Amino acid sequence: MRASVGDRIVIRGHRVGEHDRDCKVVGVEHPDGEPPYLVRWEDSDHETLFFPGPDAIVEHFEKKTKKAKG
Amino acid sequence: MRVIEGIRRSGVGISSDRTVAQAATVMERSGVGALAVLDGERLVGIVTDRDLVRRALAQSLPPDSRVDLVMTSPVVTIDADADLHQAFALFRSNGVRRLAVVRAERFVGMITVDDLLVDVANDLADIARPVTAEVIFPQRDAPVPADE
Repeated sequence: MRASVGDRIVIRGHRVGEHDRDCKVVGVEHPDGEPPYLVRWEDSDHETLFFPGPDAIVEHFEKKTKKAKG
Repeated sequence: MRVIEGIRRSGVGISSDRTVAQAATVMERSGVGALAVLDGERLVGIVTDRDLVRRALAQSLPPDSRVDLVMTSPVVTIDADADLHQAFALFRSNGVRRLAVVRAERFVGMITVDDLLVDVANDLADIARPVTAEVIFPQRDAPVPADE
């Protein structure tokens, strides 16, 4: 798994009725994008190190670059 | 099968200088019942929801107490590339429900008794299926041809 700063990680619920959780990647420890990731949990200011397992998927957000006018 | 392949859930680590209140919040947000307590990337302990109840709440510890006051340390660890049977042996000999999985002495995740139970139950179902089918729908052997 590889992630970049700004990506969203979704952790699927493990039991019937358990909702998904998500967190935002705010730091990547290793330059190659390998785990662990420093993440911030939804509705929280708390940052923790995250070690993704098979229940986690990364949603990448492509960086949009503005085209120069003219 | 290697231990790393038996992990079913993501691991979450918290810095040892965080508070018990922060640990509880992280558990609630992330949906895990145990956090790896880290000093940098070095594993120094494990704190569980049960630790927070027994060693913090029940002892009237202030919510801003450091999490390393209530963690379990040292931690029983297993190498990520070890055979899964070694995990069974460690669970049996240490009487724990979780093992910290490490690679090159760095924490990479947590494997639990529940993870292994799910695997064992699935394996049992796989090998029981043909036996069950044979009981419900018995296949009669073809008769041996008589000698002429």
